[in-house]
Amino acid sequence: MGRPSPPAAKGGPEIPTTTLRVPRPELLRRGTLLLRLSRTFHALTGAFALALLALFLGIVATLTKASWSSILLNGPGFLGRDTWDPVHGVYGALPFIAGTLVTSAIGLVLAVPLALGVAVFLSELAPTRVRFALTTTVDLLAAIPSVVYGFWALAVLVPLMAGSVEPGIQHLTGAVGPFSGHAGGLDVFTAGVVLAIMILPTISAVSREALSAVGRQQREAAMSLGATRWEATRLAVLGPAMSGIVGAILLGLGRALGETIAVTLVVGNNNQVPSSLFSPGQTISSWIANDLNSAVAQGPAIYGALIELGLVLLLLTVAVNVVARLLIWRIRRGEAGGSPLRRRRPHRGLAAGSTGVGTAVVPGAHPEWRRAALARLPQRVRRRHGTFLLVGGLCLLATVLAVVPLASILYTAVGYGGPAVVRPTFYTETQPAACNPGPVTPNCPIGGVGPQIEGTIILLGLAALIAVPVGILIGIYLAEYGRHRLGPGVSFVTDVMTGIPSILLGTFVLVVFLEYVPSVANSGIAGGVALSILMLPLIVRTTEEALKTVPVAVRESALALGFPRHRVTLRVAIGTARNAIVTGVLLAAARAGGETAALLLTTGGFQYWPLGLTHPIGALPLVIFESGLSGYANWETDAWGATLLLLGIMLIISLSTRLLLRRAPSNE
Amino acid sequence: MSSPVPTGKLAVRGLNAWYGKRQVLYDIDLDIPEGKVTAIIGPSGCGKSTFLRCLNRLHEETPGGRVDGSITLDGAEIRTQNEVLVRCRVGMVFQRPSPFPNLSIYENVAAGLRLLGIRQHDQLDAGVLDSLRRAGLWDEVKGDVDAPSTSLSGGQQQRLCIARALAVGPEVLLLDEPCSALDPIATTKIEHLLHELKESYTVVIVTHNLAQATRVADHTAFFYLGKLVEFDTTDTIFHHAKEKLTENYVTGLFG
Ligand SMILES: Nc1ncnc2c1ncn2[C@@H]1O[C@H](COP(=O)(O)OP(=O)(O)O)[C@@H](O)[C@H]1O
Ligand SMILES: [Mg+2]
Repeated sequence: MGRPSPPAAKGGPEIPTTTLRVPRPELLRRGTLLLRLSRTFHALTGAFALALLALFLGIVATLTKASWSSILLNGPGFLGRDTWDPVHGVYGALPFIAGTLVTSAIGLVLAVPLALGVAVFLSELAPTRVRFALTTTVDLLAAIPSVVYGFWALAVLVPLMAGSVEPGIQHLTGAVGPFSGHAGGLDVFTAGVVLAIMILPTISAVSREALSAVGRQQREAAMSLGATRWEATRLAVLGPAMSGIVGAILLGLGRALGETIAVTLVVGNNNQVPSSLFSPGQTISSWIANDLNSAVAQGPAIYGALIELGLVLLLLTVAVNVVARLLIWRIRRGEAGGSPLRRRRPHRGLAAGSTGVGTAVVPGAHPEWRRAALARLPQRVRRRHGTFLLVGGLCLLATVLAVVPLASILYTAVGYGGPAVVRPTFYTETQPAACNPGPVTPNCPIGGVGPQIEGTIILLGLAALIAVPVGILIGIYLAEYGRHRLGPGVSFVTDVMTGIPSILLGTFVLVVFLEYVPSVANSGIAGGVALSILMLPLIVRTTEEALKTVPVAVRESALALGFPRHRVTLRVAIGTARNAIVTGVLLAAARAGGETAALLLTTGGFQYWPLGLTHPIGALPLVIFESGLSGYANWETDAWGATLLLLGIMLIISLSTRLLLRRAPSNE
Repeated sequence: MSSPVPTGKLAVRGLNAWYGKRQVLYDIDLDIPEGKVTAIIGPSGCGKSTFLRCLNRLHEETPGGRVDGSITLDGAEIRTQNEVLVRCRVGMVFQRPSPFPNLSIYENVAAGLRLLGIRQHDQLDAGVLDSLRRAGLWDEVKGDVDAPSTSLSGGQQQRLCIARALAVGPEVLLLDEPCSALDPIATTKIEHLLHELKESYTVVIVTHNLAQATRVADHTAFFYLGKLVEFDTTDTIFHHAKEKLTENYVTGLFG
């Protein structure tokens, strides 16, 4: 290595510093060794990147293979049949497809206007002073685990829907057609509302990114023409950002299609095509969550049909995510995208001399009509300012509405879970025998969720052990080597993989384990592997992005000192990007820590202290899902305690990483 | 230097400007003469753009942007007027050509007219045609005004931005280094255009290119570290500068 200082190798001949340094054999040997190391490192990262591609294809192939018997048996009619009747061997996917599409559509219809209002408010209209605080608050919504949304919805939203919203809608609409039927709160409409709340932060965050990718100058050019802030947004920002906004909406759709636990809790779990908005239904993911574990025991026909349902969902979400990512990538790469030309009337008739008015360039002279318009302007400006205030007010309202669930969730969780988490035994004891429904009494002992806390720590530890090194290596490949060949493809697949519903990751892991190591199909290992697949793309993405922000000059100066490439990456680049990578890992772990659907299928659920990785194991989010609905007072208290604990950890991680990341760039 | 009594189309008195806590303009007094081209020169970061952005009240829209002092347009204080009305009278063109990328040439120019409330097709057509002519772009686009604005070359895009600004019917046109992203031929076209425009408009141009200032400007203001060092006819500034600092700058000793 060409260090500037004289070589200090012991025993070697003293080389006078004035003479030209001749590479000595030892130096050469070291150089060759380093070169080989460097190549090995490159190959290693490349191999893992390939493995990520293989994993993606493997998920598709595994689900296809496991559902093959069902595909042959049930034929294409599977998709259109509206009955699911294992007793008579009739399997139709329509109730679940309909449930999935209807709930997602309701979610989109409700979420899109609000999310766009939030995005426009936060990116364009809000006073700069409040932007960061508001943005952070809205983004916190994305950190809340699905099971918490579902549990909160059961406690707060469902009674509200059943008691006033749904009867109110029926009253207004005359309870006909899609609004007919008994409105009981546990139905596709409520599921759609929950989905809307859950996808709103996704849509608004990605739309906001698309809006802020439009240059400042565009807005200022519009304002220089006399546009108000809102007119500048409409004129100069929405158009170029449109493809990114559509991408954001599709991303939200993908999330809604695959969302499992929250929907399972409120959708009513009825395997029929919903006859109205207020009838209970079932989505693909909620049915898999409900039935896959028992289907394993019930025989290959029902198992295969369930996996085929999963395959349908996989293809649907992958397709939606591919389109979404393509649209968003265009924005990220700064391509002048945007909506197709706004087509108004063609102006081919506009040729020299065709219009009699104002064709001559007369210095300073305005045609009559423009003078008239200018004279009317002050009046008009007042109205336009009114429009600006109205739009701004609506967007502010959307933002406030978006934050209401966060406030309500925190309030409810603290109210019910607060008494649980302040008890030391909550962290150290197991759940006691269930008591009959009713208040907690001395005869009805209070326990804790110690085993599940330990289970979550074990599962996360295992998942991190797999996902962190692999994810960082792949991220390194993408940032450092992968700009030309494999890189873009892997990078794209990484993005698409973040859109695969977690229930399908759980299904994939379960199917693979059942095939090859059935004895641990429900175990800590299976759960950890499922979580690691969940974390992997998130870590890859943050590592890649963090490394790409390391200035070229930093790398080049290290390379110029003679450091081999892999050392530059490992020492210099990783060193510089370390905080961002740690942040990404933390966020991924937070996501996995709140994950329920995948664990539901893979861990076997377990109420007692973990026996080891090869045994079933409990986890915090599972407590909420399983005990929250038990109707037993002491168990439900545990569930609320677990909710508060999970929520607290998620919010602290998400808040602190945001604050840290905010400080980092301002140091420049 | 400027007299205590405002004489220009735009008269600036005691102008201070800040980004957050950081002051970038100090006590600027300047009268911008009507029907002339006034150039603003000075080293990078001395506040030329900020000064220009104060003149159409765009600086206040910048996060942290704050202004103090007086700017009058035809004797009336602009800082107490509605900013939309001010910007309709004081148009601006930016450094990088910035047509609205998703709109056609026609719609780019018509955008300002529509904001004025003009809806009738013959009036829009007339306004677009007139502006494209004034900006010297009509002969180049000919009938194809429905082409995407991004299909134009950089120089054409910049003239489209000028046409877009002119369509509103401003009295003052502010240009912030309009040629710095353009090749020499496109630059020449815009310089010619400026000569024609000053017949009807008061033009203020920030330029980094001293030769350009001598070619296009009647008056030149030299800014240094947020202060106006000297303002006079271009000939005086470049050949008989009163301040040593100005002389050093225009002879290329620093900057
Ligand atoms: N948006 C901004 N925020 C904070 N400081 C700014 C901003 N824009 C410019 N500045 C600072 O204000 C000073 C003047 O900038 P500017 O008016 O753009 O100078 P010029 O156009 O002469 O190069 C510079 O020091 C610059 O760093
Ligand atoms: Mg500038």
